[in-house]
Amino acid sequence: MVPDMTTHGGHEPVFCTVVPPHLLDKLARSDDPAVSGPARRTLVRDSELRGRRRVTSEFRLAAAPAVRAPSDRPLRTIYDAGNRTELPGTKVRGEGDEPGRDATVNRAYAGLGATFELFLKAYGRRSIDGDGLPLDATVHYDENYGNAFWNGEQMVFGDGDGEVFLDFTLPVDVIGHELTHGVTQYTANLTYYGQPGALNESMSDVFGSLIKQYTLGQTASEADWLIGAGLLAPGVTGVALRSMKAPGTAYDDDVLGKDPQPATMEDYVRTGRDNGGVHINSGIPNHAFYLAATALGGHAWEKAGQIWYDVLTGGELSERALFRDFATLTVKAARERYGDGGDEHEAVRKAWGQVGVRTR
Amino acid sequence: MRIQVRRTGGFAGIERYAEIDTAGRPDADEWQALAERALAAGQATRPAGVPDGFGYEITVDGRTVHASDPRLPDDLRALVTRVLKEGA
Repeated sequence: MVPDMTTHGGHEPVFCTVVPPHLLDKLARSDDPAVSGPARRTLVRDSELRGRRRVTSEFRLAAAPAVRAPSDRPLRTIYDAGNRTELPGTKVRGEGDEPGRDATVNRAYAGLGATFELFLKAYGRRSIDGDGLPLDATVHYDENYGNAFWNGEQMVFGDGDGEVFLDFTLPVDVIGHELTHGVTQYTANLTYYGQPGALNESMSDVFGSLIKQYTLGQTASEADWLIGAGLLAPGVTGVALRSMKAPGTAYDDDVLGKDPQPATMEDYVRTGRDNGGVHINSGIPNHAFYLAATALGGHAWEKAGQIWYDVLTGGELSERALFRDFATLTVKAARERYGDGGDEHEAVRKAWGQVGVRTR
Repeated sequence: MRIQVRRTGGFAGIERYAEIDTAGRPDADEWQALAERALAAGQATRPAGVPDGFGYEITVDGRTVHASDPRLPDDLRALVTRVLKEGA
């Protein structure tokens, strides 16, 4: 029997509050703003608290290793979980070691290096934390595991189930996406729910795509602007998991369903699922970045990427920022870095206008 | 015994759902024992996860527990894996 895989279905109670989570979830999706507003705010606040607990109880304490990478080179270690779930697993490749026979190990090693390289060369950032954090990754996590994540300390990659997803080390933008969650956690720490959550996801897609473009030496017009190209198994009808160029068009498959991403605020999806649609509405800021980058032309990491990086790391972006807050800061950053009324300023302002996000 | 599993989130952000009815199955006792251990290992509300980590919602005869990667207890992992593989 084939399991039902769907983007639809029941609610996803997520939160610990005095109001029962299923009720809060239902309220948050109400058509009446007087009902949905407070419920959504409660959800966001609670998610923020959970985030803070995670930061204090697991993340900061765990992530203070004595060893730091030298200033201009990564310090990578790849481990093999042997299809089990204990982390980090057995060490299989250290920094400077020759490539081995396992292509997954070699891809993870290269992907960590590519990510380190973009952040250092383009933005002068030394590793994920800006302070030489060693980059650890575990491959072959669990059996048929169709996912990859940054757990606050290290990368974890599954092999995929082979039917829907292939090995998660295959697309370099997926590796970059996950490591950028680490960068966001160390900088703006955007709350992983609703609009701030969708911005968090978008930061990972933006820099994930830029890492791929940097690696291939592509200009904005040459890039495919796809996230997860090469990850879908041969039988799946789709080219990737998300498209920054044309959100909503990456896949349309009888098992996976259809890519649910909107490109503009007109089609913004209000939902309690997926942490309030973090992987859905990220299509809107993703598309704004694409529009700004292609309007400016050349290498997208140089100007558009620099502006986004300035906002992510500049200290003014709130953990609970909405799209319009982020958009406004990018317009400001473009003006400050490249001049009032310059091409960069205009391109960024126009891009947000085109996706229906108003800037102040 | 009706066992429902819903997995949310992940890098793809695609939900996956499957359920199984153990009634009449030759391995019903085994399922029941696993389901009971899984219920005991889960939490009443969804625990903190990580960005792109899977969230899990397991319902056994109307009783629901939650878990999140990367801290999915072994009994829950075993149940989730089996239901998503063998369920419909």
